[in-house]
Amino acid sequence: MPQFLKEYFNRNGIGLGSVMLGLVLFWTVGLIIMPQLSMLDFSFRPNLPPPEIGGPKDLYTLENYKYLIFGPEGGSQDYNAVDLRVFYRTLIAAVLVTIFNLMLCYPIAYYLAQTKGNHIRVLALMLIIPYWINEILRAFALRIIFGETGILNNVLVGMGVFDTPFDFIRNDIALYAGLGYAYILLMIFPIYNVIESLDRNQIEAARDMGASWPRIHWRVVIPYAKPGISSGCTMVFMLSAGALAAPQILGGPSSLWFTQLIYQQFNDNSDWPQGAAYAVVLLVTCILLVLALMRLFKVNMGDIGK
Amino acid sequence: MSAGVGVNLEDLWIKFGDFVAVREANVNINGGDFFSFLGPSGCGKTTILRAVSGFLEPSQGNVLIGGNNMKGIGPNKRPTALIFQNLALFPLMKVWENITFSMEIKGASAKERRKRADELLDMIALTGQGDKLPAELSGGQKQRVAIARALCAEPDVLLLDEPLSALDLKLRQHMRSELREIQKRVGITFIYITHDQGEALTMSDNIAVMRAGVIDQIGDGKTIYNDPMTPFAASFVGENNVFRGRVKQVSGNEVMVTTNRSGDLMARVANGTEGRLKEGDEAMLFIRPEAFSLAPVGTQGDHFVTAQVTKEEFEGNTFNIFMEGDGGKEIKVALPNLGQSFESHQGEAMTLEYQVRNAVALPAGVLATE
Amino acid sequence: MKNFSLMRISIWVYLALFFSYLLGPLVIMSVTAFNSPGFPRAAPWECLTFEWFSALFQDERILNGIKNSILVGVGTVTLSVSMGLAGALMLTQIWPKLRATYYTIIIAPILIPGVVIGISTLVFWDRVNRMFGLDADSFLSNGLFLTIIGQSTFIASYCMLVLVARLQRYDTGLTEAALDLGATHAQAFRKVLLPFMRPAIASAAVLAFLASFENYNTTTFTFGEYPTLTIELAQKVRYGITPAISALAFIIVLLTVFAALFNEAHIRRKELVAAARKSATVEELGSGNFRLPGFLSSNTAAVVLVVVAMMTIAVVGSATVYSPQQCIADVKEQKRMETEVRIQELRQRRADEAARRAAEQADQAEQEPAVEAAPKPSNNSGFGGVFAPGALQDDGADASEEEPEKPGNDSGFGSVFDPNALQSE
Repeated sequence: MPQFLKEYFNRNGIGLGSVMLGLVLFWTVGLIIMPQLSMLDFSFRPNLPPPEIGGPKDLYTLENYKYLIFGPEGGSQDYNAVDLRVFYRTLIAAVLVTIFNLMLCYPIAYYLAQTKGNHIRVLALMLIIPYWINEILRAFALRIIFGETGILNNVLVGMGVFDTPFDFIRNDIALYAGLGYAYILLMIFPIYNVIESLDRNQIEAARDMGASWPRIHWRVVIPYAKPGISSGCTMVFMLSAGALAAPQILGGPSSLWFTQLIYQQFNDNSDWPQGAAYAVVLLVTCILLVLALMRLFKVNMGDIGK
Repeated sequence: MSAGVGVNLEDLWIKFGDFVAVREANVNINGGDFFSFLGPSGCGKTTILRAVSGFLEPSQGNVLIGGNNMKGIGPNKRPTALIFQNLALFPLMKVWENITFSMEIKGASAKERRKRADELLDMIALTGQGDKLPAELSGGQKQRVAIARALCAEPDVLLLDEPLSALDLKLRQHMRSELREIQKRVGITFIYITHDQGEALTMSDNIAVMRAGVIDQIGDGKTIYNDPMTPFAASFVGENNVFRGRVKQVSGNEVMVTTNRSGDLMARVANGTEGRLKEGDEAMLFIRPEAFSLAPVGTQGDHFVTAQVTKEEFEGNTFNIFMEGDGGKEIKVALPNLGQSFESHQGEAMTLEYQVRNAVALPAGVLATE
Repeated sequence: MKNFSLMRISIWVYLALFFSYLLGPLVIMSVTAFNSPGFPRAAPWECLTFEWFSALFQDERILNGIKNSILVGVGTVTLSVSMGLAGALMLTQIWPKLRATYYTIIIAPILIPGVVIGISTLVFWDRVNRMFGLDADSFLSNGLFLTIIGQSTFIASYCMLVLVARLQRYDTGLTEAALDLGATHAQAFRKVLLPFMRPAIASAAVLAFLASFENYNTTTFTFGEYPTLTIELAQKVRYGITPAISALAFIIVLLTVFAALFNEAHIRRKELVAAARKSATVEELGSGNFRLPGFLSSNTAAVVLVVVAMMTIAVVGSATVYSPQQCIADVKEQKRMETEVRIQELRQRRADEAARRAAEQADQAEQEPAVEAAPKPSNNSGFGGVFAPGALQDDGADASEEEPEKPGNDSGFGSVFDPNALQSE
C-alpha cells in the first residue's frame, strides 16, 4: 500500500476511510468523468439500432459534427444555416443576459453588502424566496405577465404606449426577462460575498480623497469584487446557455435555443449520437469562452463557487 | 490509579519526506515522573508527543509504554491521554459531557457519567458548572476541564502539548503549581511539552532539551541549569552570557579560555563533558547574569571581566546592567536588590567578578536564537 | 445634503423596481389562482374562486408527479449529501499537488449545463447496462435511478460547497481528542464531527431537496417512467396553461414563505436563548430553570409567522364555505349580454354589407366575438362579484366554457355597471 494511502487510512480509520474514498471515487469517476467521456465517445459514433451497437458498422465517424456545420448530406445548402444560427444566437443571447444581470444585480449586491440594519435581512429573505420556487413556475409566472392578454400588455395599452398588445413572446423579450429572472440570485450571491468582506474604510478613504461614486466603484469596489463578479457571470452565462425550461416556455415559436435542438435530437429524432455531438459542442464552446474570459480578467478557477 | 507506567523511546526517528523531524531519540521516562520536553518551536517536541499518543507512526524505532511496544496500536487503544495546545474541548457538548466523553464511548450510563463528572469537577474546583458549554467558561476553567477530561479516561500517561501557552502570565503561573499538584495527587506519568523554560524548570522532575529534532540533554532542572552539556542547552535554559574563544590550557576539570574580547578567563568543565575540550579547541564560556558581582574597576585576573556599560534597568528584585559583549550580544548582569544604593555607570567601564565554579566551558556550538 | 437625499431616494426607487421584478411575477401568478377565467390572468378580475385548487387536487398526473418528486428528492438528498460530505472531507486532506485538479473536477458539475449532465448520464448508464448484458428495464436504466444519479452529479457539488464552508471552521484536533479518549474513528465521526456539521448538513439537505425538486434540464432526459412534478408541470405549461398551475404555484409560494419565516424565527429564538444562557447564573443553569424568553417576545419573524398562519387558516376556512357560483353566473350573464351587443352590431354591419359578403367570411366573423369575449370586458367587469354572497358549495361550473347560450336579448350596458342590479336579476 502506498504511503499516502496508509496515512489516509491511519487518519480516517479503515471503515470510515473506505466509505469516504468509495463515495468520492463514485462521484468523481462514476458520475462526473466517465459519463462525460462516454458522451464524447458516443458523439463520434453513427446512430445505430441497439442490436448493431458494437457490431461492424459501429465505427468512429465525424458525421455528427459535420452535420452541425454542413447539414444533411446532399442537402441543398452549403451550410447548416438553421442550426448554426441557433447556436450563435444562443451564445450571444446568453452573453447579453449575463451583462443585463450583472448591471441589474451589482447595485443590489453592493447595497446589501455595505448596508447595515434589520431590513437587509428582510431583503435577503425576499431575494431567496423566489429562488425556492420551481423554475418552471417562475417561467410560467412570466408567461402570464408577458402574454398577449397579460397584465403588462393591459397596462401598456391602457397607458396608450401601444395601440395593440405587443407580442413579447414572439420578440423574445419574455425569454430574456425570464432567463435574467431565473439567475438573479446566482449573480448577486457571489458578488455580495466578496463585497461584504471589503473594508468600508477603503471606500471612506477614497471618498475622503474626493473620489466620485462612479470612480470609487471603478477603482476600488469593482477590482476588489472581481472574483465574485466573474464567478457570478460564469454561472449565469453557463446556466443561460444551457437553459432549457425557459426557452421552451417563454421562447417564441420561431426562435429556438440550442438546448432545444439537443432535446429534439434526443426525444423527437431519437438520434442520440447526434444529440451527444451537439451537447459536446455546447459544453466545449461554453468552457472555452469562460476560460478565455477568465484569462482575460485574470481570475482563477478556485474563485468560482466561493 | 495505576501509578508508575514508564515510557521509553528507543532509537526513534520521524521523517516527513526528506525532512527529519526527530533524529535518534533515546529517552527513558520513569513511571510517575513529570517529564518535560523543552525546546523552541519547530524542534520536533510536538512530533514526539504525537508519536507517543499514536497519531504518528515513527519512521524507525519504537515507543514503549509500560514496557509494551506500541507499534501499530492506534491512539484510541493506547493508555495515553493528550491535552491539546488549543484544548480541543467539544464545543457542542456541555462541560460534564466533555469530561466523561471517554466513558460515553465505553457505553457508561448517563447517571454514572454524571456522578464521575461531579467528582472531577470538585477536583478541579468547578463544582456545579457541569451544565455550561465550553464557550461559557474562562480560559483557566477550560484548561482545567481539559485536564479533567483527560484524567477521566484514566490514562497511564498524560501528555500535555503546551497547554498553558494561551493563558495570560498570571494565570499561567497559577496553573503551573496547580498542574504539579494534580500530578502529585493522581501519581501518573506526565509528559509535558513546552518552549517556556520557566514552566519546565518549575514543574518537571526531568527535562529533555531539544534542538532541531535532536535531544541535546536529559536531566533534572538543576543539572540542566548548572551543568548544560551543549551551548544550546546553556543558552536556551535560563539567561546566559557567552564568551567565545579558544582553549589555552586544560588543568583537570578547569580550563583557561582565551576569549575574543575579555582576555583569558577561567571556567570549569560541566559534569558529563569531561575530557571533551582540548588545548586549542574553539570553546564557549557561559556565565549566568546572577553569577557576577561588582569588583573595583580595572581589576585584572582570570575571573574578572571589564567592559563598558551600555544600558541599565531596574527590575525591582534586581538591577540589570548591560555591557558591551562579545559578538554583538551584550553581557547581562543581574545584581540582587538588597537595598544598596546604586549609581549610574552608563558609558563608563565596569569590572565584574565571578566564581570559577559558576562559569561553564563547552565546545563551541549552536546557540539558541532568541 | 440635497445630493445625499436624492441618492437615498434613487436607491429606494431602484430597490422597489428590482423587487417588483423579482416578486411581482409571483404575486400576480398567485392572484391568478383565485380568478375564475380559464386562462390564468390577474386582470380583469372576474370572480374569486377556489375551484382551481380542487382542480389541482384532482389532477392524477400532478399528484403522481409530486410523489415521484419526493421519491427522487429523498434519494438525491441522501446520495448528494453523503457524496458532498465525503468530497468536502477529502478536499481538506488531499495531497496538496492534487488539490487544484480535484477541486476543479468536483466543482465542474455546477458549470456543466444540466442538459449535458442529463445526456451524459443517460448515455453512460445505458452503456453500463449493455455491458452487463442487462435488459432495457433493469434498474440501471430505470428512470428513478437515472434521475437520482443525474441530479446528484451536480447537486453534490452544491452540498460540497455548503459543507466545506463549515468544515473549514472545524478543528481536526477535536477528532484527534476523541480518538485519544478511546473513540473509534466511526464514533469520533458520529459523536464529534457530525454534530458539528449538523447545521450545514441540514442546509445542504434542504438545498439539495429544492434543487432536485425544481430540476428540469437534467431530469427531462432521465425521468423515464418516473415523471417528476417539474416534468409534468413543464408539459402542462408547454401545451396550454390553466390557473390550476397558478394554484400549485401559490401553494408552493406559501410553503416557501412559511419555511423561510419559520427558519428566521428559529434562528432568532436560538440567539435569544443563547443570550439568556449567557446572563443566567450557575445555579440557574444547573437547575435548568433559568428564564427562557417566550417564543414571540422580540421575535418579529415569529410574529409574522403566526399572523400568516392564521390568515391561511382563515382563507382555507372560508374557502370551504364560499362558492363563486353566483358570481360566475353573473359574469356569464354579463358576458352574454355584451356578446349580444356585439352580435347586434355585427348583424347591423352584416346587413349593410350583406350583398358583398361571402358565406365563409360570415362564419369567420361569427366566431370572432366568441374568441374575444374573454378579454373584452376589462373596463366594466364588476368587482362587486367578489363580495357576492353564495350559499351553494357545488362548484361544478367550468368557467372556460363561456359561450353565449341565449342570443337575442338586446339589453344595453346600463345594468352592467351595477353589479347589484345583476344579482337581483
